[in-house]
Amino acid sequence: MSQVVPAAVPFRVAVVNGSPSERSKTMGLVDVIVATLRDVLGAESRPIEETRIDVYRLGPGFTGALDREGVTPEVEAALRRAEEADLLIAATPVFRGSYTGMFKHFFDLVDQYALANKPVLLAATGGGDHHALVLEHALRPLFGFFQAMTVPVAIFASSGDFDGTTLLNPRVYGRIETALTDVADILKERAAGERTAPVG
Amino acid sequence: MTVEIGILTFGEITADRTTGALPSPQRRMRETIEMAQVADQVGLDVFGVGEHHRTDFVGSAPSIVLAAAAQATERIRLTSGVTVLGSEDPVRVWEQFATIDLLSGGRAEIIAGRGSYTESFPLFGYDLQDYADLFREKLDLLLKIRERNPLTWSGRFRAPLVDADIAPRAAGDTLPIWVGVGGTPASAISTGRLGLPMMLALLLGPITAHERTVDLYRSAAAEAGHDAAALPIGITAHGYVGRTSRHARDTMYPYFARGMMDNNHQRGRGFQMPRAAFDAQASPAAGLLVGSPQELVDKLLRFHERYGLNRVLVHIGFGGMPQKELLEGIERLGTEVAPVVRRETAATPEVPA
Repeated sequence: MSQVVPAAVPFRVAVVNGSPSERSKTMGLVDVIVATLRDVLGAESRPIEETRIDVYRLGPGFTGALDREGVTPEVEAALRRAEEADLLIAATPVFRGSYTGMFKHFFDLVDQYALANKPVLLAATGGGDHHALVLEHALRPLFGFFQAMTVPVAIFASSGDFDGTTLLNPRVYGRIETALTDVADILKERAAGERTAPVG
Repeated sequence: MTVEIGILTFGEITADRTTGALPSPQRRMRETIEMAQVADQVGLDVFGVGEHHRTDFVGSAPSIVLAAAAQATERIRLTSGVTVLGSEDPVRVWEQFATIDLLSGGRAEIIAGRGSYTESFPLFGYDLQDYADLFREKLDLLLKIRERNPLTWSGRFRAPLVDADIAPRAAGDTLPIWVGVGGTPASAISTGRLGLPMMLALLLGPITAHERTVDLYRSAAAEAGHDAAALPIGITAHGYVGRTSRHARDTMYPYFARGMMDNNHQRGRGFQMPRAAFDAQASPAAGLLVGSPQELVDKLLRFHERYGLNRVLVHIGFGGMPQKELLEGIERLGTEVAPVVRRETAATPEVPA
């Protein structure tokens, strides 16, 4: 970055939601993650501007697109919001042993270098604890391809951790706090770097 | 508090192992009431009936079975195990169990649960998508009905109640309402927050399997301002009391393996539980409540030490054990196991359900 960023410029947080359900455990988990991020950043921090991209509701302009040139303007805008975010939260339920199909389709349309060195927080939900390694064996390699900076602690929650879509298990809350402490450090360092960067 | 000991049945209808013939529902119903009678006569504390809406069980309407048991027994407490509350009308549940309470002189109890079988949801027109919300809302209504009358209440899944007079009231001040929990952390936390007694199900696995569940339950209860240490916990597990260790295992195994084959499917079909696996589950560190009277005493005391149990329900006869063996097992539980466990646990302080 080559210009000074005023303190009021928000952190842009983009959530890519891989769940097909309107109300989902995956978004129940993300709600807690975003709320915790606000807490961890603190009141004196730059505000958070959150955008959610529900890949299962992007419509035929998304599902019918074979490449980036084929997407509609609305889908193009959604892809740009993900590409230009300060923090990307990649959240998906486990389907057939991995992230969902439309979740992958979204990232198949993301520019190859748009996520390079971008902080990416990985989150997933599954029917049981035996799905937890989807974070390390499916999600992290995907963002490894993009040369993204995946946050060291990724977050998994099982169906049994939720009452409906409300996350109840305190152990998962603890894990989220650990992950977001690292995220907050990265965001603050980068913001400070932008402020001290030379003008012009 | 003295640990209460009882039995639980689902009223299974299982084919005879040698002839392949199915017992008639009428016979199984008669045998179920006979189980309650014998359990009462041998001094057991609780008789529970599970709710399953399929032709391989006679327990679709546990409240009616319990009403019949109320007339056939004197002292034993009568509980559902569980009432699948998400697909019930809590007003009707209250009316039925308050009625059982009147019939039995104050012996009725409810274990409300989400249910591990889901047949009742489409039968009564409920969407399984709403599984968690249904249970939360209906439990809330059931607790409000218990708390006050008349009642004004509104929710998502039924018409609102305006100054509704819900009768009859229970024989005593109240009806005990427990929540059945299979071990999912969220269920334990929700139950703890409400400060309700928790009935844990341990199907198979180590005795320690529910340590985390109980920790979460007690800390959620404490956080919500309840006296967490005083909240009752019960456990239900499959079991059988034989004359000896060997006799108990030999008697229970073939039926239990059959019940698991019929009910515990993997890849869409049953699987044969090997005898070695069964014996491992019967060992002192594992949860199956099978053995000689002395073995059962030891195991129940281990459970009590670990969890501070207030109640144990032995699920007996799963898989179609013949009535003669089954009743003998109930008798040994009541006369040889329960008195010892009660005496050994009587030192701990009293907790009402």
